[in-house]
Parts: sequence; structure tokens; C-alpha cells
Amino acid sequence: MIKRRRKKDFDDFESLGKEKRAVRFDFILFFLALAVSSFGVLMIYSATRETLPGGVTDPQYYLKRQVIWLAAGIVICVAVQFINYRKIQRYWWLIFIIGISFLAAVLLFGYEVHGSKSWIDLKFFTIQPSEFSKVFMVISLAAVMSKWKGEKVYQVTFKKVAISSTVTLIFVILVLLEPDYGTALMYFIAYLGLLFLSGANFLYLLSILGLTAGGFFIALKAGLIKQYQLDRILVFLKPDVSSEGAGYNLYQSKLAIGSGDFLGKGLFLGKQTNLSYVPAHHTDFIFSVIGEELGFLGAVLVLLVLGAIAWRCFYIASNSSDSFGMLLSSGIGFIILSQVVINIGMTIGLMPIIGIPLPFLSSGGSSLISMFLGIGLVENVYIWKEVRKDYEISYQELK
Amino acid sequence: MGSNIKIRFKIILYLLVIILIVIILRLYFLQIMSGELYAEEASKSITREKTVAAPRGNIYDRNGKLIVGSVPVAAVAVEPHIVLKNEDVMKALSDCLDMSYKDIKEKLEKIDIPYIDRVILKQDIDTAIIIYLKENSSKFPGVEVVDVYWREYNFDYLASHLLGYTVEIDEDRLKSKKYEEGYEGGDQIGHTGLEETYESLLKGKKGKIIYEVDPLGRPVNILEETDPISGNDLYLTIDIDLQRVVEKILYESILEVRQKKIKNTDEYYKVPGGAVVVLSPKNGQILAMASYPTFNPELFVGGISQANWEYLNNQENYYPQINRAVMSSFPPGSVIKIVPAYAGFAEGIISERSRLNCAGLWLGLGKDFPKSCWSSHGSLDIRGGIKNSCDIYFYQVGYGLFTKYNNMEELLQKYLRIFGFGSLTGIDLPHEVEGLVPDKEWKKDYFKDQAGYSVWFPGDTVNMTIGQGDLLVTPLQTVQAFSILANRGIQYTPYIVKEIGDAEGNLFPGISREEYKDLNLNEYFIEIIEDGLVQVVGPGGTAASVFRDFPLDRIPVAGKTGTAEFYGRQDYAWFASYAPVGNPEYVVVAMLEEAGSGGSNVAPIVEKIYRYLFNIN
Repeated sequence: MIKRRRKKDFDDFESLGKEKRAVRFDFILFFLALAVSSFGVLMIYSATRETLPGGVTDPQYYLKRQVIWLAAGIVICVAVQFINYRKIQRYWWLIFIIGISFLAAVLLFGYEVHGSKSWIDLKFFTIQPSEFSKVFMVISLAAVMSKWKGEKVYQVTFKKVAISSTVTLIFVILVLLEPDYGTALMYFIAYLGLLFLSGANFLYLLSILGLTAGGFFIALKAGLIKQYQLDRILVFLKPDVSSEGAGYNLYQSKLAIGSGDFLGKGLFLGKQTNLSYVPAHHTDFIFSVIGEELGFLGAVLVLLVLGAIAWRCFYIASNSSDSFGMLLSSGIGFIILSQVVINIGMTIGLMPIIGIPLPFLSSGGSSLISMFLGIGLVENVYIWKEVRKDYEISYQELK
Repeated sequence: MGSNIKIRFKIILYLLVIILIVIILRLYFLQIMSGELYAEEASKSITREKTVAAPRGNIYDRNGKLIVGSVPVAAVAVEPHIVLKNEDVMKALSDCLDMSYKDIKEKLEKIDIPYIDRVILKQDIDTAIIIYLKENSSKFPGVEVVDVYWREYNFDYLASHLLGYTVEIDEDRLKSKKYEEGYEGGDQIGHTGLEETYESLLKGKKGKIIYEVDPLGRPVNILEETDPISGNDLYLTIDIDLQRVVEKILYESILEVRQKKIKNTDEYYKVPGGAVVVLSPKNGQILAMASYPTFNPELFVGGISQANWEYLNNQENYYPQINRAVMSSFPPGSVIKIVPAYAGFAEGIISERSRLNCAGLWLGLGKDFPKSCWSSHGSLDIRGGIKNSCDIYFYQVGYGLFTKYNNMEELLQKYLRIFGFGSLTGIDLPHEVEGLVPDKEWKKDYFKDQAGYSVWFPGDTVNMTIGQGDLLVTPLQTVQAFSILANRGIQYTPYIVKEIGDAEGNLFPGISREEYKDLNLNEYFIEIIEDGLVQVVGPGGTAASVFRDFPLDRIPVAGKTGTAEFYGRQDYAWFASYAPVGNPEYVVVAMLEEAGSGGSNVAPIVEKIYRYLFNIN
């Protein structure tokens, strides 16, 4: 009887999953995310309590908001557990459509900040659809690339590569239209990572890279990308960046982080950031605040925690019971990792200045909530895996 | 899951570790290795230092009347390295300061930026503009409203040569003075006169504010603040009321003399300028010092206009900025005769009773060099020689001085130097000139290309005894020489600043400039010379007509006229004097350039001054 039930449960696992979900939860991942987000709340308060960006008058404005977003993130993270992620795979097209609708909506109804149309104003709050879309894209890609119904063995076929790369291209083009180069780069890295971990033939990977390089070259030749834009982006490659013009942000960020020394200037005492010398210091440049106020020690600690979160995602992926769960967890891991690399790299002069938030830490609801949504999905994959383990154990015991 | 995928997960894990290591190494480089460097640069990039101008010290006359004060005015100061890069700021400034964009740009572009970090763009701006600039400070990075101090002159033209004026410090001086003395662009610095001599005392000490700014340059936090210290006040020996009278008399007399024609010609006296000095022989204090033409120091307040500057430096206007009492030297004519008279006594050439003859013509230098006198005086003693200003009498004295020791000692020059000619008096005014006491060495050097002229001739000494030849003296040196006679050989250094005090009016003790030197002269010789000088203003003397109505019995005056020929110009006219004889209180010397006879044209100036000084109508 149990044998029969097992077979059935591969198609409809819900009943068994529900029983165990409450107790099986990867607390390491969740608490790392919670810890680093709470720490982010503190740093945001430090960065905004005196400078009051955006003309607010309440020194705790950004603090309060971030706390609310964090709470919302946790709720969503928990709420996601009530759905079996395997069910999502079937409806990937719906998620894909929601994702691209979000991005299309921002192009139609969004408003511009610093030259890119990334925000939609919903009266009570604003959302940044590209933040949510990164999760939707990962779900879509994981679904497309994982084992399809009717497939005997899991393998990445040309068809899957074609569909997944088309999905990625659509997302990337939509964010490039905003334009938001940082997010586009992040999407692209996440896709490459997924393709790599999916076990796809290296030829596919090389082809994608080659096509991208070719496309970029053509865009440059055709004048879609202007030389000055390129110079602006590549300013970080010049060792002696000037304190003015394109290099200003980088210069100020390096000054802030560099002046932090080993232990930093102390919480709330970062002058470069608190006096707004570092632009967007509560959002994209929050790492500069950490570097300045808490020094090398604080910066490395934050980096290690973020690294550990990414590692945990890959760990859960590698132990997941199916290809969809594996790809889904990995996708979230790649999104976190690529954002960490791009964002921190940008603040310390290793990456071009392309504004994307630092996951869990930057001020902003869309980023934080979408990150917790991602964590929720990884937890979901973990629970599935654990449930199966339990089942196997009980099955063996019974046998 | 296939082993292929397991390997790929491992690769991703290694990649993750590598990425973390790279970032950590980069952080290590930034924070640990270059941390101090960045910290220093960071603190430099957000802290600014600005100075607060100190009020310049006031200048009072001897009776405590304020002559020059200091008033704050609002000015727009800009940091050229910031503003030059920002066209919008320059345009906005041009709108609100009523200056053309081009002017602003040019003014800032010619600045040597690494040296000069502040330029005063416009001074004395309206309150409305001050408020506008302050309220919109975020639109004007690198622009600041500061206080600057302007000079305020209570007596217009009076004593302008003595006071001098202040100008905006120029680039060259700023480069050399910036670091050690704390000047910065746009600062006022004393130029000529007491403003220059006492610059270091008058300027005060600037206050300093060290503060932090936000990226728009707006101050957010003051770290350190030091208040400015006002400059020290000067109390002069000058009596401003006397100064006014002296300047007025000088001016009116010059206009009067310009109406006169040179004897036997249709030519009027030119009188381009003149000078008067009134000194107290008892201590060397200058009571009044006038020079004509003069200028209004107010022209320099807030920067002089190009037209005015050209006017002041045009030869046709006879250089009004020159203080003719100390900054120029002139041939002294017969006023110098007191020196050969003393030298004649001291070297035994003459005695009280010895007489020398004047037949109108003297051939002592040989038939080929006849020397004439302006009259035929007959037999004269020293008193008569001085009273009549007899040239032939003094030629003979001079010849005697020349021949004694075969002119090896250059006796005349020696006594001229004892009386202070040929060297600075040491007055506390800048740009004083030494004049010239010519001697063998000078002549040899001066005429080194003309062999025939480079030898010292007896005629050179002879000419010098009547104040001709190459001898040049300043009116102040003449005042000092007459003061030596009045003091029976005590030489005081003339000075103008009597006391120095702080802004609260406390005087600093022990700074008196009173300085004297006993020249150990023979009082008996001086008294005989003084007798002669008294006779100059008495009946039959060269200035007799001028002092006819002066109560000489009550206020005996010792004086000497001088009329010096100058090649290619009209005669320089002098009158040097002191009074009352017996207890001299004043030494008064007047000199007019190209004004003919000292007796008729300059002595009246001195006579009028004495009338004022002794309250005679």
C-alpha cells in the first residue's frame, strides 16, 4: 500500500508534504537572510538619519519603511511554503507572462530616476518590477530547462536551450529598454550560471557567449551603444579615477570604504556617506556605508554572510530531489551571487558603476521582498527534499 | 543527479570562494593598505577652512582724532577652481552682480589657480543680493558672501601721502607672502605711507573657521572657530588741524606763485609741486608734512578705476602720489650754506671776526673760471655772508675746505654727511630717498666713460657750498639739518607714529620711536650761524620783506632762503627755518619746484605757518 502511495505521490505529493512542512525548514538559510537584512536596516538608518534623502523630514523614515518591507518579506517567505513548488513548474508560462508584463508595464507607466525608467508609482508606494521579474525569470528558466513531462531521462536538449535563451533574451531586452544595464547583466549571468549547472553541453554555453559578444559588437557598430556610454561604464578600469565627472561616484565610494580602515569609523560616524558625498548611499552604495563605518572587519563579515547565503542556495540545489528544484534553487543562488559581485564590485572599483541593489541590505521594498520570495522558494525546494528523505526512511523502515 | 552536474556544482563552489577572496583582497588593499591615505584624503575632501577678515587698525592724529577708520562691507568671494568649471554659476553671478559674463570669466582665468584659491569678485554689494546669494547657496557652489574691510577717510585728501592706502594684494606678493603671513586672494595690503610701513601691525589677525561641507559645498558642521583680532591702532605725531592749514597754505601759495611771471620774461612760474615739513626739534616728531600735488586716497577704496590710476601716473599731472618731502631729492641752493659755514668754523677756514670780500666776481679758480655773485656785497663776516646769502663768501669758504689737506679728506662732504645729507633719516615712511652728496668716488664712477669729467675739480666743491652742482637733498633731510642747529648738535630721528594701541584703546608701552644722537658739535659756532640766520628774516636779510610784519621781537625766527638753479628747468625755491630762537619749538621747511626765488616765493609759506603756530594774525 505504501508502495502504491509512493508512486502516486510523485504526481501528487501535496498531502505528504503538508504534514512535514512545519518542522522541516532550513533555519541556516533563513536566519542568515534575516540577520543580514536586519543588519541592513541598521545601516540604512545610519545612512539616512542625518541626510534625509528625498526631502523627508522624519529621520526614521527609511528605517521604518525598511522594517515594514522586511516584515512583508518574511510573511511572503513563509506564505510561499503553503504551495508545493512542483506545482509551479506546470504554470511556468503564467509566471513568465506576469514577469514580462511587469517589465512591459514599467516601460509604459513607469517614471524615470537617474535616466532609467525602472519604477512604477502605485500611489502608496513604488515598486521596481525588474526586482520581482528576476525571480519570475528564474522560475521560468528552471521550468523550461528541467525535466519535461514524458522525458525519460533529464537532459538539456537544443530545444530547451533555444526556449530558455529566448526567455532570457526577452527579459534582458525589456530591462535594457528602461535602460537598466545592471539588471540586464545580472539576468544574463544568472542564465549562464543555470545553463552551466543544468549540465548542458559546453557548446551551448560557448554559443550563447559568442552570440552575445557578436550582438554587443553589432550594437556598438550600429550606434545603439555610444562610445561615451561605454567610457562611462568602463571608467572603473582607469586606476586614477578623477574626483569629477563619470568617476565621481567611484572616487567617493572608494574614499568612504578606504577611509574605514580595519575597524571603521564607528556606527553612525561615516562622514563621507552621512554627508551624502557617496551618492545613493542608502540604496546602491550601502556597502560604502558598511565599509566606512565598520571597516574591513564589518565589510568582510557582511560579504561572508552574503556568500554563505548563496552557498546555501547551491547546497540545497545540489541536494534537491528533482531537476526543477535544483535549477530553481541554483537560479536564486546565482541572482544573489551576481548581485553581490556586481554591487560590491562597483563600490570598490572592480566593476562598472551600474546601479543595482545589494541583496538584503539596500534600502527598497521591491529588492528586499523579492529576495525573501527567492529564499522562500529555496526553502520550499529544501522542504520537498527533506520530505522525500523522510518518506524514504519510513519506506525502508516499513520494508 | 549525474556526476557531471556534481562536478559543476563543485566548480561553482570554487568560483564562489575565488570571488570572495578577490573581493576580500581588494578590500584589504583599499582599507588596510591604503586606509590611512584614503582617510586623509577623505577628511581633506569634506573639511573646508575659511577665514574671517579682521578689521584693519585705525589711525588717529596726535590729539586722538580719527583720521582713517575701517568699515565692513559685504563682498562676493569665489573659489576660481570651482567656479571656472561651472558656466551656470558664472552666468548666474553675472546676472545678480551686474557684471558681464566675460568680465567674470576673464578675471578668474588670469588667476594662477594653485596659488590663489579666493578671488573677491565684487565688493559692497546690496543687501538684497546678499540675501539672494545666501538663500540660494546651493546654486552657487564655490561662491561665498564675506566681509571685507574698507578704509574710511575722515579728512579726504589730508595727509594722504603720509597715510598711504590699501590695495588688493597682487599675485606676486601673494605668492611670496601667502604662507608665512596668512594673506589670501582679495586681501587688502598697505601700499605706500604708514599703511605700508605698519602693515604688519595694522592688518590684524584673521579669524578661522574649519567646517565640514556637504557635496554642494554647504557648511554642515563647524569643527573649529577662532575669532579675528583687530589690527592695532596708530596714534600719529601729526596734528590734523595743523596738517590742514599747512596743506591749504601750500596749495594756495602754489596757485599764487603760478600767477607770477619770471623777471624780465613773459614766462610764468611752472611750480609743478612742492613740500612742507613741520617738525618738533625737541623730539623729532613730525607735526605736519605736506606734498603737492596730492591725491584722494578714497579713490583706492574698493579698487581704483583705470582712468583714475592713469591720471595719478600721468607725467602731465606731476605724479601726485609722490611724497616730495621724502621720496624725491632736489638741489638745495643756499639753504645748504649752514653746512659750509659750520665746516668753515670747524676747520679753521673762518672765524667769528674774519671777513671775506665780495666784489661781484671771484676769480679764485683762475681767470678761465670766473664765478659771480648775485650782487656785490663788499666785505662780509660770516653773519653777513648768511644774511645776504653771498655766494662769493661761500665760494671762498669752499675753496678753503678744498685746499685744506689737498681735498684728501673731502671736508665739505664730511660735514654734509654729519648733518645727515646723503643718507636716510630713518623716518617711518617707505620709499625714502638718500639724495646725493657727490664726492670723488661718485664722480669717478658716474663719469667713467667720459675721462675728462671723472676728476673732482675744486669748482665741484665750490659749487656745492651754495647748494649747486650734483648735490641733492630731500626736504626732510633739510628739516633734520636745521633741527640739529636748533638742538645745538642733537640729532633726532624724525618719526610719525607716536603710539600704538590695540583695538580697545590700550597703548603698548615702550614702543616710542624717539631716538637721538649727540653729534658733539661746537655750540659757539652754531650760535654764530644762528645769528646769521636770524638776520636773514631781519632788516636787509634775503627774507626781510616777508617777515616785515611778523613779530620777530616776540617770536624770533632763524631762516635761510634758497634758490637753486637746475639745468633745463626753472629755479627750485626753498625756505628752511626754526622758531622761536632760544627755545625752538618748530622747524619748518618749505620747498617749491620751479618757483624762482626762495625769499619771495617760499618764505611767505613758512611765515604763514608760523602765524598759525604762534597764533598771530
